[in-house]
Amino acid sequence: MTTKSPLVFTLIAECHTTKARVSRMVLPHGPVDMPVFMPVGTQGTLKGMLPEQLEELGLQIMLANTYHLGTKPGVEILEKAGGLHKFMNWNNCLLTDSGGFQMVSLLKLAEITEEGVRFQSLNDQKAEVMLTPEHSIEIQNAIGADIVMQLDDVVRTTNPDKARIEESVHRTTRWLDRCLQVHKKPDTQSIFPIVQGTLYEDLREISAKDHIKRHVNGYAIGGLSGGESKDDFWKIVHLCTNILPKDKPRYLMGVGFAEDLVICCALGCDMFDCVFPTRTARFGCALTRTGQLNLKKEKFKKDFKPIDENCPCNTCKNYTRAYLSGVVTVYPSACHLITEHNVVFQMRLMKDIRESIKQDKFPEFVRKFMLDLYPNKEYPTWVRDSLSAVNISLTL
Amino acid sequence: MKFYVESVSKCAQRLGTLSEIDAKPSVSIKTPAVMLHTQGGQIPHITHEVFKLVSRDPQILQIPLAGMHTFKEAMQYYEGTISNFIGSKDSLTCLTLQDPCNITKQGHNSTLKVPIWTKNGKVYYDAKSYMDVVESFKPDIYFLLSDGDTNISSSEKRISKSLSNTVSFYKECLERHRKSQTLANSFVIAPVVGGYKQLAREKFLKSILADVKDVGGFLIDGLHNNGPETEFLEFAEIEPVVKNILNKLPTDKLRVIQGCWNPVNVINLVEMGIDLFDSSYCHILTERSAAMTFAIEPTDQTDTYEINLRDAKYLDDFQPILTGCNCTSCTKYSRAYIHHLLSVHELLGPILVMIHNVYHYLRFFEKIRKCVKSNTLQALQVSITEQFQNHQKTK
Repeated sequence: MTTKSPLVFTLIAECHTTKARVSRMVLPHGPVDMPVFMPVGTQGTLKGMLPEQLEELGLQIMLANTYHLGTKPGVEILEKAGGLHKFMNWNNCLLTDSGGFQMVSLLKLAEITEEGVRFQSLNDQKAEVMLTPEHSIEIQNAIGADIVMQLDDVVRTTNPDKARIEESVHRTTRWLDRCLQVHKKPDTQSIFPIVQGTLYEDLREISAKDHIKRHVNGYAIGGLSGGESKDDFWKIVHLCTNILPKDKPRYLMGVGFAEDLVICCALGCDMFDCVFPTRTARFGCALTRTGQLNLKKEKFKKDFKPIDENCPCNTCKNYTRAYLSGVVTVYPSACHLITEHNVVFQMRLMKDIRESIKQDKFPEFVRKFMLDLYPNKEYPTWVRDSLSAVNISLTL
Repeated sequence: MKFYVESVSKCAQRLGTLSEIDAKPSVSIKTPAVMLHTQGGQIPHITHEVFKLVSRDPQILQIPLAGMHTFKEAMQYYEGTISNFIGSKDSLTCLTLQDPCNITKQGHNSTLKVPIWTKNGKVYYDAKSYMDVVESFKPDIYFLLSDGDTNISSSEKRISKSLSNTVSFYKECLERHRKSQTLANSFVIAPVVGGYKQLAREKFLKSILADVKDVGGFLIDGLHNNGPETEFLEFAEIEPVVKNILNKLPTDKLRVIQGCWNPVNVINLVEMGIDLFDSSYCHILTERSAAMTFAIEPTDQTDTYEINLRDAKYLDDFQPILTGCNCTSCTKYSRAYIHHLLSVHELLGPILVMIHNVYHYLRFFEKIRKCVKSNTLQALQVSITEQFQNHQKTK
C-alpha cells in the first residue's frame, strides 16, 4: 500500500558551472519554488503583517517556532484550533523548528542529557521542564506544519571541545530515530534530520552520512551562522551539500543575509530562514542590493525617493525615504511598512536567483550581484574563495 | 470644498455633504461623519494599504500636528500635498493642532503661542509658524490655531487668556489664509473657545462672528484636554455649553468636535447638530485591548457592549470578535488567536483589534446617518444607552 508523500520534490534546472539548482517541492499546503527564503513568524504571526498580505505577495512558506508556540498558546489550544494553519489563518506552507536551538540560545540554564534538554521554563511558574525528541515531535504534530525538524543536540560553533561535538553528532542521530519513531502524521508532515558537527569536517561527514541512511524527505544543515568565521562557514556548507543527495531539498538553517544566500545557493542549498530581514525592519533598516539603509539617519530627512526605485512593493510605491525616516521606530505601522519591503526584497532576490539558474546565467548573476555590493571590487576573501570553489571567478 | 447642509434649525440633528473638493471632484463626504484619526500619517496600527481591507470609501484623515512636526522641514521641500507625502493620495486631510488621543498637558500656555508635544518634547507654535506649516502641508481642511487648553475646572484667568490668544490667532491666521494662493482651496475651521463659562463663549463668538467670510466651519474647542478621559465626560456637563454655542453659530457652516467621545455621547452630539467627529475612540479602545461589540442593528448577535480580548476567558474561544460582523478580523480570525497575539505582545494583535474597531465605528456612523435621514435617531440612542448602562453595571 502506498500513501501519499507529504513532500514531492522535482528538480527543474541545474547551473552548469556551480552546484546551484532550481527545484520545486509540493507540500500538503501547496508548492514551494526553491531556492526559497522562509521568513520567520515566531509566535504564529509574521511581525505586523496579515497572512492575507503575505499571500498576496506570493509567499509560499514561512517558519514558526516550536518552543514559543509550545509555551503559548500551548499544545491544547493548538489542537483545539485544528493546528496552526487554521489558528493563524495561513493557507500556504509552514515549517517548524524543533525548539532545541531556542533552548540553547535563549535559556542559560539548559542542561542536555541523553534523554533531552532540561531547562527552566520561561513561563510564570519557572518550573523545570524537559524537552525530549518525543515531546518536540508531539508539539510539532499539534502545530501541524508541512515540514518539521528533528530535535538536535546543538553545540555552539565556537565551542572547541571535540569530544563534546562528537557526542552531539551521534546523539543527534539517535534523537532523529526517536523523532521518526513517534511521528504521528507521516502522511502530512515531513521530518527533516539536521546535520551537526560544528566546524569539524570529519564529524560533519559522519553526521551527514548517518542521516542519509534514514528514510526522510529532506535534510537540514544546522549549527552554522553562530558566530564562526565566514571562511569556516562556507567550507562546511560546501562539504555537506557534496554528501547530501541531489533528489531531496537541502535546508541551510539560520542564513538570511543577501550575500550569504547567493553564495549558499551556488553551493547547492535550497531553503533558508533567518529573523534578520524582519528584525532589522523593526530598527528602521531597509534592505537593498547595494546594502542596508538605516532610515533613521539624518541624510534621509529630505530624500523623496522610495527605498528602492526598482522595488515593486507597496512601501516603495507609496512612501518616500523622507516619510519613513520620520516614522520608523516611532509608530508600529512604520515597522509594518519596512517589514513588507524587506520580505519582498528577500523574495525578489530568490526569484532572480531562480530565473538566472533557469536561463543558465547564474554565474553572470552572481558577478553582477557582487559588483553591485562591492563596486570597488574589494571582495571579502571568503566570497572569492567560496565562489571559486564552484568555478566562479570574480577577478574576470 | 463646500459644505451643504439640509437643515436650517440651529440646534438639531442634520444631514450634510462636503463636496466640490478641488483636487478630488468626484469625492463627497456625507455628514454626520467621522474623520480617521492618524498619528504620524497612519491610522494607528493600520497602514493605508491594510485600511483598504476595512473600507474603500473616501475618507478624511485627521492629521494632528504633534505627530507631523518632525516633517516640518521636509515638507518645505516636498512638492506634493500632505496626503501624497503620508502615502494616501486619495484621502482628504484635515490638519489639527492637538492629538485627541494624547492628553494636552496643562499649564504650559504662553502669550500668543501654544505648545504641542512631539516625540522630541514640547514645541511652541505661533500664528506665523503654524500657518507656515499649513502652507507647506496643503491640507484639504485645517483648524486655525487655537489655545483650547481649558476644561470644566479651568480658572477665569486661564479662560480669559485662552480667549485673547485664540482671537488673536484667528485674526492673524485668517489674514494669512486670505493672502495665500496655496490655501485658496483649503477649507478653514475656526475653533470656538471659552471653557465652560457661557459668558466667555459668547464674548469669543462676538469677536469672531463679525468676520466669518472664508470660514467653512467651527470647532467646539476647549471642552477637555484630550486623551482617554474624554470618553467618560458627562453629557449633562457639556450639553449647556455646546447648546449655547450651536445656537449662536451660523447654521450653514460645518460643526466639528474633537475627542474620543463614547458612542452614547456621539449620538447626543449628533442630535444637537454636530457634523464631524474623529475616530480616536477606536484607538483608545484598542490600546486597552478592547473591541467594540455593541449592537448597531437590532439584529446584531451580541449581548456585550465591549469585550477585553486579553481576558483569559478568550484563550480557547474560537468565535469571531462579533458574530456576523463582516470585517477582515471577524471573518478570518478568532478571539483565541487575537488573545494569543495580545498576550505575547505581537504587532498583529492590535492590528486585528483596530481593524474591527474602525470597521464597527464606520458602520455606527453609517447607521447614524440612516437614522437622521429616517428620523429614528431616538431609537438608536435608547438602544446604545441601554447597552452602555448594562456594560457599566457588569464592569
